[in-house]
Amino acid sequence: MNAIRLIAGNDLKRRFAQPFAWILLALTCALLAWQFLVALDAYLRILPKLDAVPNAQGATDLIAIPLLRSLSGLLMLIAPLATMQSLAGERRAHTLPLLLSAGVGNLRIVVGKFLGAFGLVALVVILAVLMPLSLEFGSSLDLGRLAAATLGLLLYAASLTAIGIACSAWTASPALAAAAALILGSLLAMLDMGARFQGVDNALINWLSLSTHLEPFLFGLVASVDIVYFLLLTTLALLLASRRLDTLRTRG
Amino acid sequence: MNESPPVLSLDRVSRRLSGRAIVEEIDLSLDRGEVLGLLGVNGAGKSTTLRMVSGLLAPTSGSVRLGGRDLYGHPEIAQTEIGYLAEDPPLYGELSVEEYLRFCARLHGLSRTAIGPAVERAIERCELGEMRRRLTSLLSKGFRQRVGLAQAIIHEPALIVLDEPASGLDPIQALRLRELIRTLADAHAVILSTHVLSDVLACCDRVAILHRGRLRHTAILSELDAGAALRVRVERPVGSQDWTAIAAIAEARALDAQHWRIVLKEGVPAGELARAINERGFGLLELRTDGNALEDIFVRIAGETGAEAAA
Repeated sequence: MNAIRLIAGNDLKRRFAQPFAWILLALTCALLAWQFLVALDAYLRILPKLDAVPNAQGATDLIAIPLLRSLSGLLMLIAPLATMQSLAGERRAHTLPLLLSAGVGNLRIVVGKFLGAFGLVALVVILAVLMPLSLEFGSSLDLGRLAAATLGLLLYAASLTAIGIACSAWTASPALAAAAALILGSLLAMLDMGARFQGVDNALINWLSLSTHLEPFLFGLVASVDIVYFLLLTTLALLLASRRLDTLRTRG
Repeated sequence: MNESPPVLSLDRVSRRLSGRAIVEEIDLSLDRGEVLGLLGVNGAGKSTTLRMVSGLLAPTSGSVRLGGRDLYGHPEIAQTEIGYLAEDPPLYGELSVEEYLRFCARLHGLSRTAIGPAVERAIERCELGEMRRRLTSLLSKGFRQRVGLAQAIIHEPALIVLDEPASGLDPIQALRLRELIRTLADAHAVILSTHVLSDVLACCDRVAILHRGRLRHTAILSELDAGAALRVRVERPVGSQDWTAIAAIAEARALDAQHWRIVLKEGVPAGELARAINERGFGLLELRTDGNALEDIFVRIAGETGAEAAA
């Protein structure tokens, strides 16, 4: 556990010693803040009309959830960018032998790298959630639903980050790792799009899709099957990454 | 008698990559206090051997043992027992020298209280004091190499593995590094790879010559020197029969009219030759070791073709 914490901490420290992490955070926050303010402005315009409608949607439905849904799309890009250097960058910079020769164990290296990257991605999610949460000072939010959506987004981000780590373990080229993670993540998110167009929404292909398991969280539903799905996907991706490091040791 | 196992032993270690034999059936052992130089031309299998020794690359067959324990059966022993410096020092450019060494110390399992003194000791031994707060990405090649060496010794491992440690260094930096490696041998076993003969002669106790993945020759350098040829310069023109008439001489070869390359019989000191030359009135002007024993062996082995090497 010490080695995992050490590798994760070192990874995060190195990320924030470079401008890339700051720029990524700044651009993401700027984009989401703009979207948030536009939504807030629209909400304030229609607020007098909403007051007259019984059981009308509130700030959670009209501002918070659309913002977080939009963030889920951005995470598809942010996770590959956050993970592309994790192992591929180490291989390219010839620093991976430092970790491999330290007797730490491949799975620990992978989990440490995952936590380092997830630290950055989770920070993006938390900063994004803080924006609609600030509305709690002037209005009433559905905090339970917001908490469920945050949990869902974190699990979703963890899965995308783990996929990014697996891709980063597979190649020594960070750009290729990012491209592969983006394609894989998008594929998993849109896997059941065709099936849904055909009216199929309860088949295996629907179950395999990332978005199928994120949507319930955005509606405030926390189901163990969705949690298990994200945890399974994350574990599988990390095991594949660890397996790749095993292969580097055995096959060169 | 209960003899402790060697720090490092390689037992018929082979490695194939993409179906090609890179290293074949290498047997080696190394004890604390020794510096072993792996000598070979580029592509001889030195780096592959060192990667197997440091736990980075599993052998296809054979075993690598550290203190009697199989490294690939107990990979955790690498954390405390091995310090490895790859040809490119594995530095994180975003960290300062001190931050980087603290990370390495923790990575190798040092306790919180031991980290500070270990970092100070490594900085002092590798003469990094004035660079301790500088980012590693801003260091010169020589200092990068020293930081790499500092991370390899920070946890006082039993075995220090150095892959081409002097590559890219200027002569003064290389000299300082050799001196440092010599001092490391007091408390550690050191194995290093190089294709530079002077590195081996300057800091190794033993040499193992690799060629085309095979271990072709091992020797203790002091013994190699003892059997080395002597270079003699004499005033008077003499013939080879004059030399062979001296009982102490095993072989004499003319280099030019005045210079001769002489090989003495086993156990005969060089002083005996000097006395014999004076007795015969050859007019001794110069007598020194030829210094080419290792070079002769290396050049002969390195010059072999694939067919000869396999024979």
